[in-house]
Amino acid sequence: MDTRTQEAIMTISRLILKETLHRKLNFLLSSMAIIIAAALFVSFFTTGEAAKNETIRLMRDMGFNLRIIAQETDMEKFWQRGFSEDTMPESHVYELASHGGISYAHLTAILQTKLTWQGREVFLTGIAPELSPPGKKKSPMIFTIEQGHVYIGFEIAQSLELEEGDTIHMFGKSFIIAQSLPESGTEDDIRIYAHLHDVQGMLDMKDRINEIKALQCLCIVENENINSVVMLREQLAKILPDAKVILIQNIAQARESQRLMAEKYFGFIIPFVIAVCMTWIGILAWLNVRERRQEIGIMRALGYGSGKIAALFLGKAVAVGLIGAVIGFFVGTALALKFGPVIFKVTADMIAPQIKLLYWAIIASPVVCALSVFIPTMTAVTQDPAVILREE
Amino acid sequence: MIRVDRASKIYRTKHGDVHALDRISLHVKKGEFVVVRGPSGSGKTTLLLSIGGMLRPTEGRVTVSDSDIYAMSKRERALFRANHIGFVFQLFHLVPYLNAIENVLLPAGVGQHQYSPEDVRELLDRLNLTERMHHTPSELSAGERQRTAMARAILKQPQIILADEPTGNLDPENSEEIIGYLAEFHRKGGTVVVVTHGKSVDRYADRAVRLDKGHID
Repeated sequence: MDTRTQEAIMTISRLILKETLHRKLNFLLSSMAIIIAAALFVSFFTTGEAAKNETIRLMRDMGFNLRIIAQETDMEKFWQRGFSEDTMPESHVYELASHGGISYAHLTAILQTKLTWQGREVFLTGIAPELSPPGKKKSPMIFTIEQGHVYIGFEIAQSLELEEGDTIHMFGKSFIIAQSLPESGTEDDIRIYAHLHDVQGMLDMKDRINEIKALQCLCIVENENINSVVMLREQLAKILPDAKVILIQNIAQARESQRLMAEKYFGFIIPFVIAVCMTWIGILAWLNVRERRQEIGIMRALGYGSGKIAALFLGKAVAVGLIGAVIGFFVGTALALKFGPVIFKVTADMIAPQIKLLYWAIIASPVVCALSVFIPTMTAVTQDPAVILREE
Repeated sequence: MIRVDRASKIYRTKHGDVHALDRISLHVKKGEFVVVRGPSGSGKTTLLLSIGGMLRPTEGRVTVSDSDIYAMSKRERALFRANHIGFVFQLFHLVPYLNAIENVLLPAGVGQHQYSPEDVRELLDRLNLTERMHHTPSELSAGERQRTAMARAILKQPQIILADEPTGNLDPENSEEIIGYLAEFHRKGGTVVVVTHGKSVDRYADRAVRLDKGHID
C-alpha cells in the first residue's frame, strides 16, 4: 500500500470525486441543468452574431439607404426630380468621414443633374470614391470611376448603340466608356456616371455637391426603442448643421427590428432558463445535503471545519459548472451550426464557433452553480452534528 | 484529563423542555477507562458529545486536557477534536463512498499528522482489515465496519477515545474484539470513556458511572 497516495485521497477534491462517482445520478442531473443553460446561451449568441451579419449583408446588398442633402432643399421638388437642386460644399463629405462613433458608413459625395444629351433626357451623376469614418473601413459598395471615363446606363447604351471603349463627348470634353451597365429597371438605365470632379467641371460647380449617399451602420443601433431617423438626424446636426438626412426604409430595417425583438425575447428567456436551472441545481444540492447528513456529522466529529464542509459542496458545484460549461458550449455550438444555416441562408458560411463564448461559459457557469448551491451549502455547514450523531 | 462541572443540557421541544443532563459533574483522569452506563434516554450520548466538544451544555463547564473547550471558537474546537479525540459510534458512521482505508484515513484531512505509513499498515494488520481495505462499507460486515471506525478513531493516536455504544450493533464475538481494542488503547496510556447500557465493558474499565434521567448516581 502506498500510504502517501492514500493520504492524497483525502483531499477535498478527491472526496468530491469519490462522492460524485458514488452518486452519479445527482451529478448527471445537475450537469444536465447547466449544460442546457450553457447550450442555450451559446447557441443564441452564435446565431445572434449570424443574424447581425445577415442584416448588415442584406442592407449592403440593397444599396445606400441614407441620402444627405442641403438643409434648404425643397422636398416636393426633390421627390419629383429625384435629386436636390441645392448644393453643399464638397468638404462636407470629408468632415463627416472624419468623425468616429456615428451611424454613417460608405460615404459617397455626388453631384447630379438632369440634362438633355444627344436629344435625350439623361441623368448626369458625378461620384467620388467612397469614404469611411474612422474604424469603419469597408470594401466599397459602389464602383470608382477614373477621371476621363464614364459608366453609361443600359437604355442609353442600347438606344445610341454605345459600347465599352467608345468615346463620347459632353460639354466639349471627351470621355471613354469604361463600362456599359446592365439593365437595372430603374432610372439608372438613363444615367451617365462620371468622376465627381469631371461633372463639377462640366457644370461649372467646382467643389460643390448636392448629395452624400451613405449606408446606415448598425453598429450604433442596438436598441429597437431608439428611433433610427431621430438618432441619425441628431448625429448629423452636430457635424453638418446645414444638411439633412433621409432614411430609406427597407426590408433590412424590418430584419433589424426582428433581430432586436429576438434579442429582447431571448433577453427574457435566457434569465428564465438560468433561474429554472439554478433552482433545479439548488434542489438537487439540497437533496444531496439531506442524503449526506451522517457523513457531514462524522466529518464534523473528526474535526472538519465549516470551510471544508462548504468546500465539499461548493467544489462539487464548481466542477459541475466547469463540465457543464464545456459540454454546453459544444452542444450549443453544434446546434447553432446545424440549424443556423437553415435560418440565415445568406450568411450561412459566416456561422462559426465562437471561442470567446467558451471562456465566458467557463467563467459564468461555475459561478451560477456555486450561487445555486449556496443555501443548501449553508444548511450543511450550520447543521448541528450532535443532532445527527444522536440519531439512531 | 476530562472535567465536567455542573453541566446541564436542556433540549427545548414543542412538548416542553427535556433535561438531558442536570447539573452533573464528572472527572476522568488521564489514562482512565470509564464506563458511563444507563438506560436509553438517560443522557449518555448527550454527555459524550458534550465531552467531545460537539454539544455545548446549557450551563456548566467542560474541560479537556486543561482546556475549556466551549471557550474556544468553533474552528479551534474542531481542530482540538481532530488532534486530541477519537470517536466510535454504535452506527459506525462510515462514509459510504470511501473504502475502508479511505475511511480510516479520513481524519488525515484535518489537524496534525502523527503517524507514518508503517503505523497505518500496522494498524490495519492489527485490526484485521488489510484484506478488506479496498471494500466500501456496504461490502463489509458489521464487525469489519466497526473495526474500520475503530482504526479511524485511533489513527492519529489521540489522547482520548469517546465511544457511544460501540458494541450495540455487534454480535458477542465482534463486541469482544472491539472492547479488546479499546482496552489495548487504554493499556497504552489512552483515556477511554464508553457510554453503554450493557455491562460487557465493565471488566476492562477502571470504574463505571451510572447515569439516569440526567443525574449521576
